Amino acid sequence: MNTKTIKHSFEDKLLSALIGLFMVCFVIVTLYPVINTVAISFNEGIDAVRGGIYLWPRKFSLKNYDTVLAMQNLLTGAKVTVLRTVIGTLSALVVNALLAYVVSRKRFIFKSQLSLFWVITMYVNGGMIPVFLLYRNLHLTNSFLVYVVPGAISAWNMLVIRTYMNGLPDSLEESAQLDGAGYMTIFVKIISPLCKPVYATVALFVAVGHWNSWFDAMLYNRLKTEYTTLQYELMKLLSSVMQQSGSADSAKYNAASVTPVTIRAAATVVTMLPIICLYPFLQRYFVTGLTIGGVKE
Amino acid sequence: MKCKKVTALLLVAAMAASMLAGCGGGGTTETSGESTGAAAESSDSGAAAAAPAASGDITEFSMFITMPGKEKNSDNEIMQIIAEKTGVKVKETWLTGQTAEEATGTLIAGGEYPDYLDTDDMAQLVDAGALIALDDYIDQYPEFRDTWFTKEEWDKFRQPDGHIYWINPFGNTYGESKTTTHNDEAFWIQVRVLEWANYPDIQTMDEYFDLLESYMAANPTMEDGTENIAYTILCEDWRYFCLENAGQFLAGYPNDGSVIVNKETMTIEDYNTSEDTIKYLKKLNEEYQKGFVDPESFTQTYDEYIAKLSTGRVLGMVDQWWDFAYTVNDVFKQQGLDAKGCNYVPLGLTTEKGMENRWHTYDDTVNQASGIAISVDCKDPDKAFKFLVDVCMDQELHDLRFWGVEGVDYLVDDDGLYYRTDEMRMNWANTSYQASHKCDYSYFPQWGGTHWDGKNAMQSVEQPSEFMNDMAEPLKKCFEAYGVTTYPGMIDSVVEQNAAWFPMYSYSNNFTTATPGGTAWALMGECKHEWLPKVIMAPDFQQGWDEYMTAYNACKPEDFLAEMQAILDTFK
Amino acid sequence: MAQTNVSKVKKDKKITWKEIKRQKTLLIISFIVTIYGIIFYYWPLTGWLMAFQNYKPKDGLLHSKFVGLDKFKFMFSDATFLRVIRNTFAMGALNLLTTTIMAILFAILLNEIRHSMVKKTIQTVSYLPHFLSWIIVTGILHDALSNTGIINDLLQRAGIIDQAINFFAHPRFFWPIVAFANCWKETGWNAIIYLAAITAIDPSLYEAASIDGAGRLAKIRYITLPGIKPTIIILLLMNVGNVLNAGFEVQYLLGNGLVQSVSQTIDIYVLKWGISQNDFSMGTAAGIFKSAVSIALILVCNAWAKRAGEERLF
Repeated sequence: MNTKTIKHSFEDKLLSALIGLFMVCFVIVTLYPVINTVAISFNEGIDAVRGGIYLWPRKFSLKNYDTVLAMQNLLTGAKVTVLRTVIGTLSALVVNALLAYVVSRKRFIFKSQLSLFWVITMYVNGGMIPVFLLYRNLHLTNSFLVYVVPGAISAWNMLVIRTYMNGLPDSLEESAQLDGAGYMTIFVKIISPLCKPVYATVALFVAVGHWNSWFDAMLYNRLKTEYTTLQYELMKLLSSVMQQSGSADSAKYNAASVTPVTIRAAATVVTMLPIICLYPFLQRYFVTGLTIGGVKE
Repeated sequence: MKCKKVTALLLVAAMAASMLAGCGGGGTTETSGESTGAAAESSDSGAAAAAPAASGDITEFSMFITMPGKEKNSDNEIMQIIAEKTGVKVKETWLTGQTAEEATGTLIAGGEYPDYLDTDDMAQLVDAGALIALDDYIDQYPEFRDTWFTKEEWDKFRQPDGHIYWINPFGNTYGESKTTTHNDEAFWIQVRVLEWANYPDIQTMDEYFDLLESYMAANPTMEDGTENIAYTILCEDWRYFCLENAGQFLAGYPNDGSVIVNKETMTIEDYNTSEDTIKYLKKLNEEYQKGFVDPESFTQTYDEYIAKLSTGRVLGMVDQWWDFAYTVNDVFKQQGLDAKGCNYVPLGLTTEKGMENRWHTYDDTVNQASGIAISVDCKDPDKAFKFLVDVCMDQELHDLRFWGVEGVDYLVDDDGLYYRTDEMRMNWANTSYQASHKCDYSYFPQWGGTHWDGKNAMQSVEQPSEFMNDMAEPLKKCFEAYGVTTYPGMIDSVVEQNAAWFPMYSYSNNFTTATPGGTAWALMGECKHEWLPKVIMAPDFQQGWDEYMTAYNACKPEDFLAEMQAILDTFK
Repeated sequence: MAQTNVSKVKKDKKITWKEIKRQKTLLIISFIVTIYGIIFYYWPLTGWLMAFQNYKPKDGLLHSKFVGLDKFKFMFSDATFLRVIRNTFAMGALNLLTTTIMAILFAILLNEIRHSMVKKTIQTVSYLPHFLSWIIVTGILHDALSNTGIINDLLQRAGIIDQAINFFAHPRFFWPIVAFANCWKETGWNAIIYLAAITAIDPSLYEAASIDGAGRLAKIRYITLPGIKPTIIILLLMNVGNVLNAGFEVQYLLGNGLVQSVSQTIDIYVLKWGISQNDFSMGTAAGIFKSAVSIALILVCNAWAKRAGEERLF
C-alpha cells in the first residue's frame, strides 16, 4: 500500500508537470494569433502594411475602431444580430432538444427511421438557387424570419444532444413513468435539468453561428437595410476597404488611414468581444462537473 | 435555470449594443440608421408605381453592382445636392462575399431586379429579358450619343438582336488626355538605382538586369542595413500576370493580354512559346541561379509582396501600376522612403535595342463586355436614363462627382484652374468624410481627360497641379534627368489608335469550358501557374523548358488559338 | 443491467395500439419536425436536376436543357478531377484525425487541472482562435513559415538545417501544414463538446477508483475515455461523412502554383471549372458526388458501429 502511494504520487507529479508543460505551450501557440490580431487592430493602417507587427502595435492608432464603429448601419446590424441570436438560439435549443429527446427514447417506434431521416440532411443540399426560390415562395425573403426559421433544426446539434441523453440512466425515465409522468413531464422535469452541459454546448454553437452569420442577410435581405446584420455590415466594410486600396482616391493625404489588414483585425476584435463576455456564463456548465446520480442536483 | 440563461444573453446583448453605440457617436448613427430603413422600404413598395416617391419630387433608384465597393450614407451631402438638381437619388448595393456569377445567377433566378444594374454577365441578363433596350433613349439625347461613343464603338455594344442594352461608363477621354500615371504594366525600377547609375538609357531586359546586378554589388543593403532584393515576382492566383505576359510587351506588342495579334498577316500568335518569351524566361532563370531573383517569389502572397515592396528594399519587378502603387507609395511617403529614392518608375523594355514598344496604352480601352443597364423592373426608365446622361454631360454634376463642392472641396484660382488645399486633400481622402459627403456614382458614365472649360482635368487625380504636389525630390530629379513630366513619358511607347479588336483579353475572359477553346484556355492557365516557376527555378533551363512544353502542348493551346483567330477574323 | 435493457427493447418492438397511444406525444412531435425537414431539407433537392442540365437561371429548373450525364462525364474523364479527389480525401482524413485527437487530448488534460481559475482561463484562451477568419490565420502561418520566419529561425539555430526551407514551395509539406492550421484554429472549440461529455461522468466512479488505488493515468484510461467514448464515436461518424468537405479557403489561401497538384480540393476545382454559365450545373454535380460518397461512408461506418455495439447515428 505504502509503495503504491509513493509510486502514485510520483506519477501524479510527473503527469502534472507534463500537463503543465503541454498547457503552457498550448496557450502560447493559441494565444499568439489572437494577440497579434489585437495588436494589428490598434496599429495605424498604412504602417501595418509593412508587416512585422507581433505582440504590440508599432504605431498606435484608434482609427480602425473609429472606422468600424462609425459605420452607418452598424447599430441596426447589431440590433438585428442580437435579436436573431437570442430568438434563434432559444428556438433552436428547444426544438433540437425535443427532437433529440424523441429519438433517444429507447421504445420509440420510429427511432431509427427518424434518426436516418435527419442524418441524411447533413450530407445533402440542393444548392443555392433552389433554396433561394423556396424561401422566396414561402415569403421568407425580405424578412427577419429567414434568419431563425430555416436553420432551427439541425441534425448535428440534435445528434449531440441525443448522444448525451443516451448516456443518462434509463432508470430515471422508468421510475418516473411508474409515478405516472407523461413523456413531456419527463422531458421537462427530469431529462432537461440533467442535460444542462450539453444544452449549454449547443446553445453556444448555435449562438456563435447566429452571431457570425452574414451570408443569409446578403442573399435574402440585400435591399432591406433594416434587416442587415452586424457581420454583413462588417463584410461590406471589409470588401470596400479592399477595393479602396486599389482605387485612384486612396488615402494618399491621410495621416492616419485604414487598410484591409487593420480593418479586418478591428472587425474581428469587435465581433469577438461579446462572445468572450457571454462565455463565463456558459463555461461553468462544461468545466465543472455535474453530479448525475439521480437524486443530487 | 433557463431564466438565468436568458438573462445572461440579454445582458451581453445590451452590453454589445451600448458598447457599439457609445463609440459610434450615438444619436446621429441612430437616426440615419432608421432613415435608411425607411428609404429602403419606400423604394421597395414603390417598385410598381411610376410616380416619384413621397419625399418631394425625388425618385430613389436602386442599383446593384457586381463589384465590391463603398456604401454611402443615406444622408450623403453631395448625393443630396445632386438629388435636388436632378430629382434622382441612387442607392448603390455592392457585391459582398459572392462571386459575380452567383450574384447574377440568384438575381435572375429570383426574377426581381433593382433599377440599375452593372454586372459582368450582361449577356445573361439580356437572355433572361431583364434589361430594357436603350437605343431609343440614346437617340433622344443626340449630344450624348455623339460625344460619348463613335458609331463604331456603339456598334460594339449591339447584341445579336441589334439592340444596345448597356453602356460602358469607364475609360472615356474628353478632349486632350490628361493622363499622368502609367496605369499599365511595365518593368519598374527604383529611382535610387537610376540616380546611382547617373540616369542611363535602359532599353533592353539585359541592360535592366545588368544595372540591378551592378547596383546590388555596390549597395547590398539599404542605409539602415536592410538587405536589398534585386528583383521579385508576384505569382499569386490571377495576379501572376506579373510573371506571365511580359513576353508580349518585350516583343513590342500592346496588351492584348492573352495573345499577340500580328496586324500584317491578321493572325493570332501565341506569346507563351514565342522567342521573346523564351529569352525572357531564360534571363529570369539565369538571374535566379545567380541569386538575384527573390527566392520567395513563387510562394509569396499578395500581402507579403506589398509588405516587401513597402520596406523599399525591392529594386525592381514587373507589375501593373494599380496593383501596387497606391498602397506602396503611401507607405513610402509616410516612412520618408520617397525622399530616399524608393519610388518606382516604369521602363519600356524590349528584347532588342531600338524596337518600338507598346507598354503604355494611350487610346481609350472600351470594354464592351460590361456597363450600366436599366432593368425591366425600373420604376421610371425615362427618368433613369435622363439621369444617366445628365451626370456625365452636365459639367456641374460631373464636377460635383469628381471635384466636390466649390469652396468646400476645391478652390478656383484667377486663371480658372481648380486646386485643393492640403486640408481639402486630407478630407477628400478621409473615409468617413467620403461616406457622408463624397458621392461620385462611380459606376455611372464618367469622363477622363480635359474639362469642358479646356483648362482643368475632368477628374481631380489627373489635374497636373495635384500630381506635381505629390512628388518627392528624387522622383522629380529623375523626371528632369530624362526630360519627361509624366510617368508615360518614362516609357515612350508608340502613340497610336487602338485596333478594333483591342483588347483581345476582353474576349478570352468570357470563354467558358463549354467550348474546346475555353477548356484549353483554362488548362493553359493551370499549366503555366505550375510550370513557369519550375522553369525559372530549373538548374538546367533547356530541360525545364522542354518539360514545360510537353505539359503545355497537352493542354491543346491550338484549340484556344483557333477560337481567338475566329474572333479576329470577324474584324477583317 | 445492460442485458435486461436489450431484451426489454426487443420485447417492446411489437407495435401495439396501446404503445402507439402511449407514444402519442412523441409521434406528434416527430410528425411536425418531419414536415419541417421535408420542406427545408428535402424539397430543395429538386435542384439536383441541375446536374443533368445545362442550367440557365433564366430558364429555371423546368426549362433548362437536359444534357444527361455530361457534367459527370466531364469530371470523371479529367485526370485533374481524380487528383483533386485524392487531395480532398487525404486532407479531409488527415484533418479529421488530427483535430479529433488534439481536441480529445486537450479536453482530457484540461480536466486533469485542479486549479479552477487556471482551468477556466486556459479554456477561454483555447477557443479564441475559432473566431479568427482563415485569412488572418493563414497570414500568420505564412509569416511564421517564411524563409526568415520563426520556424526557419529556430531550425537553423538548433542546427537541424543550415539553409532556410521554403515550406510552401514543397508539395510534401502542404498537407501537414493544412492539418496543423486546422488544429491550431479549432482544437479548443472542438474540445468544448468533449468537456461537456466529461461532466456527465459520475464522480463516484473516480472515487471508487481512487480507493482501489488507481493512478491518474489509469483513471483517464479506464474511466474518462470510456465515459466520452459515445461522444467520440458519434462525432467521428458524423464527420467521416464530411471528409470530402476538406475545405476551400485554407487551401486557396495557402496554395500556390508550385503545390497546386496537392493543394486543389473539389470545391476549388468546381470554382475553377464551373466558370460562368456552367457554374450551377457543375457545382451541383460535384455536390451530388460528395453526397453519394458521404452517405456511403456513413452507412459503412454506422454498420461497423452497430456490429461493435457502439453508439451509432441511426
